[in-house]
Amino acid sequence: MDPSDVVGTLNHKVEAAALNGAPAPDCSTGQKDTSPADMLRMKQQMSNQCFEMAVQIHAGKSKRSCSTSEAERDLPDYLSELERIKTIHFNSSLSLHRMQMWHAIGEKLKQNDSEADTLKAVSDRCMALCSHIKQVQQESKKLQDDITEIQKKRLEMKRLTHEKMKEMEELMSKKQHPDTEKYKTALEKGQKNLEKYKKMTIMTQNVLRGILLACKVNWLDDPKLRDIAMTLEEFPISD
Amino acid sequence: MSSLKPFNKLPGLNTANILLVEFEEQFQQSLADALVEETAVTVNVRLAKSLPLPKENEESRPRIDLVVFIINLTSELSFQSAEASLKYLDPGFFLGKVCFMVTNARNASVPTERLDAVRKLAASLHCPLLFAEDQTPEGLANATERLLTILKVTAGLIPMATALYLSNLTRCTVPPDIDQPTFD
Repeated sequence: MDPSDVVGTLNHKVEAAALNGAPAPDCSTGQKDTSPADMLRMKQQMSNQCFEMAVQIHAGKSKRSCSTSEAERDLPDYLSELERIKTIHFNSSLSLHRMQMWHAIGEKLKQNDSEADTLKAVSDRCMALCSHIKQVQQESKKLQDDITEIQKKRLEMKRLTHEKMKEMEELMSKKQHPDTEKYKTALEKGQKNLEKYKKMTIMTQNVLRGILLACKVNWLDDPKLRDIAMTLEEFPISD
Repeated sequence: MSSLKPFNKLPGLNTANILLVEFEEQFQQSLADALVEETAVTVNVRLAKSLPLPKENEESRPRIDLVVFIINLTSELSFQSAEASLKYLDPGFFLGKVCFMVTNARNASVPTERLDAVRKLAASLHCPLLFAEDQTPEGLANATERLLTILKVTAGLIPMATALYLSNLTRCTVPPDIDQPTFD
């Protein structure tokens, strides 16, 4: 039997069964309380099945010969197109439901009965909470700004301190160097001269002492000679 | 030879029919018990060791929405039996109404080539490949849940999804380096 024929007849049968809404032989048990929601669900199911069978028929009709690799290449494009359309559909139905709900809420509020009162109370509470949230958010934003300001200032201070420290170090190191340079040479020269003159003085003192001892001069009696002889002892003999 | 055709019979209202094919006939029993506990839909589970199905119940058998091949990776026979049974399925089934379920994939004695072969088979047929753990009740519950999700779509119970669409999203793919040796 031609598969498309079979599927075609089946399609008609299923549609007829779904339209009748009569319980099919398969579900004779346990379907006593078919609420409208259940029936809608079953109708959805049947339409889904019909759709699948229609796809099968359609696929059988358009026979286009192409290799599997070609088909594999085209498949992702078709899939992404399908997904795009599905998301658009989903988003539109979502916004439609939203509009329906808002309309229903509005109608309910207009009716002014007990449920409407509770709705109003809830929405008032929501409004109060939202304004409170907004206020708190603004406060926190202000505090955050203050914190950022202070942090910026602190950073600036740190930077300045750092700079000043560097300058100071530089100055100090600079000052030592040229001064010590000049000092060093002068100091060395002075020290050399001092040594020279020290040696000369000691030598002359030794010579004088030698002369005094050799000439057997009585230097104790003469006060001027005694003073000179006393000062001779101040410098150490060995230099 | 009779082959199972997807659109031979009328679908049932608010029912879903699933066929579990397993060579060892072990896991399918516990899966079946877990599957029929679903309350929102009437789930009919048919068990088989391999295809082709016996001709005697050809008339009384309802329309099968989903065929699941359960392959135990520790035995080569399981895989071969599943492969042989594939011939008796009408090609129309492979547009989303066939699923492969693999157990014992974590077992150390399983050679990697077998899992690769199953993967390649599932990828070439564009079918989803599920891994199940059959020793613990959590594994069983997990496997049941996943099978139920796929089953509901193939039975048309999910409004905006069809079996073909779902199979395209969940089909098994083979990584390009599957033939290269792994580091063990």
